[in-house]
Amino acid sequence: MNAAPAIAAPEPVLAIERSGEAAGERRRYELEDTGFNEVPKRFRRFYRRWGGPGEVLAPNEVLCPVCKVVIRSTRELRPGDHVFCLPCMSKLVVVRAADGSLAATSPH
Amino acid sequence: MNDFLGAYSIQHWLESCPQGYLEDTQFGHRGGENEPSFLIDNEVLREDAIRTTVQLVVGERCALSASSGLINAAPDEASRRFLATQTLDEARHVEVFTQRLYDLGVRKADLETTVERYANPNLVKFAEILLEKVDRKDFFCGVVGQNIVLEGMAFSVFEMMHAMNGAQNPKFAHTLSGTIADERRHVGFGENRIGSLLREHPEKKSEIERMQRDMSWFMLATFAEAFRENRTDAELDRIGFERSHATFHGADLAELSLEEMEGLLANTVLGEFKTRLSRIGLEYQSPPRP
Ligand SMILES: [Zn+2]
Repeated sequence: MNAAPAIAAPEPVLAIERSGEAAGERRRYELEDTGFNEVPKRFRRFYRRWGGPGEVLAPNEVLCPVCKVVIRSTRELRPGDHVFCLPCMSKLVVVRAADGSLAATSPH
Repeated sequence: MNDFLGAYSIQHWLESCPQGYLEDTQFGHRGGENEPSFLIDNEVLREDAIRTTVQLVVGERCALSASSGLINAAPDEASRRFLATQTLDEARHVEVFTQRLYDLGVRKADLETTVERYANPNLVKFAEILLEKVDRKDFFCGVVGQNIVLEGMAFSVFEMMHAMNGAQNPKFAHTLSGTIADERRHVGFGENRIGSLLREHPEKKSEIERMQRDMSWFMLATFAEAFRENRTDAELDRIGFERSHATFHGADLAELSLEEMEGLLANTVLGEFKTRLSRIGLEYQSPPRP
């Protein structure tokens, strides 16, 4: 924890959606380092390598469609949340996919 | 300017790469790792590995020229600094894959003749289309050609090679995993930076789409020739060496014929192109199948 952070907050969640499906208490998650070493040390626990198609993600996880890294939050994610993928610098928004799972997509 | 550009700093690059996944590596792999003896001692397998590695060197030399050439065409300071880090990434890729040629027994004096002998002419054409845009200082075409088409292709090719080599050749797999980590930043820059610029300059779209179609044709022709020339699978079968059961996009690579592998790779790369291009507001233009 010595150098100044490159971005303001280490948590990849930029904004929490507060309406509709997002109502109610969110489950909290303790994040452990999974050996992902592609970002500065203080951000590493927020990302992990993806196991490939077919892998079921946890409710606090979403796959970055740009660089195929799993983004992890300390809180359960919900549609409308804005997240940031540091390995590829993409701003993304969480959506509900056709199969019911959470997905991340470009906000544009 | 998008605030995401603020994170494209040399400091971020230092903490992510040299102090991250490249820490304690030698030419991209762990110290003490070597090419496996079954490959070095077999002339057919060794020559195939040299031919494959030459294509990586050719692709990375193109990426080095493109990323360095685009620095002075970039419209802002943060993009110039990002491209400076990408230039070093690409130079490192050229170096680690060239080192692999030496590890496979190519003599330093024979490097250029080896590259000339094995370079796929379609891959050379693919590179020429991109470098012509870079020479004209066309930032839009240059970044799409380099960071979405070339890097998007490299991303899938490296992932497939990484899956195939994970069990049989950890040294090469480790070299590949470092380049895949680099590609994440490069494709991210391509999509994020060009996506926002294209919304301001929609008149550039048709020229970029034409370039993408032409580059895609030569990419598919490169894949077709590479799989046609491949003698590795037949040789592994002949010497009774079991192919590794690696999974790539849901398929067991050991169970696929070369033709099926080519189809899987081409479809994966083209599928990725389509979604990447649509995210930045471009429509994928399908080339005729070579
Ligand atoms: Zn990402």
